[in-house]
Amino acid sequence: MSAGLQVTLGQHSQAGRKPVNQDFHGAMVPHGPLLASKGIALALADGISSSAVSQIASAAAVRSFLDDYYCTSEAWSVRRAAQRVLEAGNSWLHAQTQRSPARFDRDRGYVCTFSALILKGREAHLLHVGDTRVYRLHAQALEQLTEDHRVQVSSVESYLGRALGAGPTVEIDYRSWLTEVGEVYLLATDGAYEALDAASVHAALARHGDDLEAAAAELVATALERGSQDNLTLQLVRIDALPDAQASQLQARREGLRLPPTLQPRSEFEGYRIVRELQLSARSHVYLATDLASGQAVVLKTPSVDLRDDPAYLDRFLLEEWIARRIDSPHVVRAGTAERQREHLYVALEYVDGQTLAQWMVDHPAPSLDQVRGIVEQVARGLQTFHRKEMLHQDLRPENLMLDRTGTVRIIDLASTHVAGLTEGTAEASPQAILGSLQYTAPEYFVGGSGTVQSELFSLAVITYQMLSGQLPYGLQVTRLRTPDELKRLRYIELRSLRPDLPPWVDAVLRRALQAQPGKRQEALSEFVQDLRRPGPQYQRQGASPLIERQPLRFWQGLTLLLALAVLVLLWLRVTGT
Amino acid sequence: MAYLAPAEFVTKMVDAGESKLLMSTRDTLIRSYMAGAILALAAAFAVTVSVNTGNPLIGALLFPVGFCMLYLMGFDLLTGVFTLTPLAVFDRRPGATWSGVLRNWSLVFLGNFAGALTVALFMAIIFTFGFTEAPNAVGQKIGAIGEGRTVGYAAHGAAGMLTLFVRGVMCNWMVSTGVVAAMMSSTVSGKVIGMWMPILVFFYMGFEHSIVNMFLFPSGLMLGGDFTIMDYLIWNEIPTVIGNLVGGLTFVGATLYSTHYKTAPKRVSVR
Repeated sequence: MSAGLQVTLGQHSQAGRKPVNQDFHGAMVPHGPLLASKGIALALADGISSSAVSQIASAAAVRSFLDDYYCTSEAWSVRRAAQRVLEAGNSWLHAQTQRSPARFDRDRGYVCTFSALILKGREAHLLHVGDTRVYRLHAQALEQLTEDHRVQVSSVESYLGRALGAGPTVEIDYRSWLTEVGEVYLLATDGAYEALDAASVHAALARHGDDLEAAAAELVATALERGSQDNLTLQLVRIDALPDAQASQLQARREGLRLPPTLQPRSEFEGYRIVRELQLSARSHVYLATDLASGQAVVLKTPSVDLRDDPAYLDRFLLEEWIARRIDSPHVVRAGTAERQREHLYVALEYVDGQTLAQWMVDHPAPSLDQVRGIVEQVARGLQTFHRKEMLHQDLRPENLMLDRTGTVRIIDLASTHVAGLTEGTAEASPQAILGSLQYTAPEYFVGGSGTVQSELFSLAVITYQMLSGQLPYGLQVTRLRTPDELKRLRYIELRSLRPDLPPWVDAVLRRALQAQPGKRQEALSEFVQDLRRPGPQYQRQGASPLIERQPLRFWQGLTLLLALAVLVLLWLRVTGT
Repeated sequence: MAYLAPAEFVTKMVDAGESKLLMSTRDTLIRSYMAGAILALAAAFAVTVSVNTGNPLIGALLFPVGFCMLYLMGFDLLTGVFTLTPLAVFDRRPGATWSGVLRNWSLVFLGNFAGALTVALFMAIIFTFGFTEAPNAVGQKIGAIGEGRTVGYAAHGAAGMLTLFVRGVMCNWMVSTGVVAAMMSSTVSGKVIGMWMPILVFFYMGFEHSIVNMFLFPSGLMLGGDFTIMDYLIWNEIPTVIGNLVGGLTFVGATLYSTHYKTAPKRVSVR
């Protein structure tokens, strides 16, 4: 196994010919799990020289970015985490400006440029606003990766078009790419880069070898010698090692754990007493157990014998409890107990005393719209907590929804969840594999598309339809899809034909949520839930849909029959000669 | 060699049956075509071995290679889907209906038949040098088998029909046991050993396997066996298919499902 991500850093900053250094820079190289989940971050800010307080702005921007970025959820992708943190930083700076005398003069506020480079896994992510620059070093040249947000007024005059703290909101440039071992990146403020060229950078690097600190200091000195009038700051980072492309982050953790034996009732296992088996299936073994320390009832899940050799399955297994700890919703199952040292690979989850939605549907074959709404809304709220963390549950089905005695619905079985923050930079970055039950999986997965929030809406709508009618909206047509062209051939079975007592708009709402094209569905789960409660006028056309839409086959058959009759009449007229 | 507890492999059986119902028409046809072809080839191989050694036991001992090949490659035989797909309906899997099961059976039947016929034609060409010579010893043997197991049954009338049906039942009892045995293990060696034993039993005992017969009889006809297509269909293929269906469903599918699945602890919580 490779050592993971390793870099060499070198940074230098100097006020130069100015009295105050309004540049600010920082870098964070965390260790252990944080390195894998968040990566290495370099940040550089340059305060605008017209303002006397912009050194405060640049320091605050860099400090808060480096502090807050590492506190965001591990489930978030780099892009989302960094942008959220920068938006917060921008709001704070802008608020400071508004509170100071500078609020009437946009050149005197808490304003600075900002560029950050984040290295995570095998990918580099760049966030940028303003005119500091990030370069990639090539043998003969410097490749500028950022665009200067500068508005040229005349050949000598220009001003900053975009900057942190200049307005209540800010547009932040983002890009990401795969890095390679040996690549060197350079971050610099205008004071430094305007006086430097590729040759001097390469010369400094060659002279100092591994000592990038010294190289950075030398480059700053060179720039000053060449007459730079501004503050000078320069950061160099070289990638020395990258994590293995194939090795998942979970592999190391998994290798430290043994596979549990088949558990027997009344035996003890890792501080739990097994009460009984709940379900043994080819996917997992599930037991009810009590925690010996607290007496609490928990559900223990161990890998099935059949899938013990499947690393992807074991990785997902390991992730389930991790996800359960990060999702705080009354509608999602909780982790069983506090995190503890363990020797075996298993999952401990909260025990939910109740029945599955599959059982509920058997007990309530023709539920009222209100009963169904109550359940759908709770599931939607549970799913929304996943989506806020950039996760997709991906295995929504009646067996995975538990209703407890109070009627509260919980989503269980989180093992198929796609977590954006964990998969970016790997082969599974976009959720494409079908991990859930085929009957509830959205059509885009079958034709090679990737899952989105709309795919989860589709699954929820299938369950809604099934609760109301006991059938699937497309039968098994979706599971037999192979190519995108076949999407058009999906025929929705009218809910009205199965439940004539329901108002027609329910059909219209569900039909929209079950569209084959994700873009034609409701935009958000909340919209779907709202439509089920208060349908808009577009769903209210009572039975007004034309025959050609409702029964296209019948329409054309009828039309053809009419034409045939007309032909016969004409023939008869001709034969009789009248 | 990992051994799966019965409760675990029976859920696997139901899952397998369900996934076959959900499969697209194209995949179902391709997989069944290949299964029919490989099994036919194995039958030709086993008859050749028996004729050349003069010992039918050796042919039977080696016949399971074909079955192992097609199973490990994920192809479907009619005998297997007879046993597995109804389980998805028994278990009320969403969308699983009897009409879906019939669709699957018809497609697999067509695929298997087409695959077996292809190999029958190829083998007939080999046995007769492209229809230029009289069939060799193996070809004559296949023609004789075809005669004996159609006209031979017809000679006994209703009793012959009953024997044929029972042989069909016994056949798929064994063959489906092989399919299930392959699910008991998670390793290739375990699967092969599990499949080998019941398949060996069925072949040596001369039970009637609908797909093996889809090869034997059409090639028998091509190689000059003295029976007609109607003899083949009425006095062999149709009763065999029904016997296979009954055998697989009653002795394997329904029994394992009711004893190992339905009696499993009540499923009330997190799976």
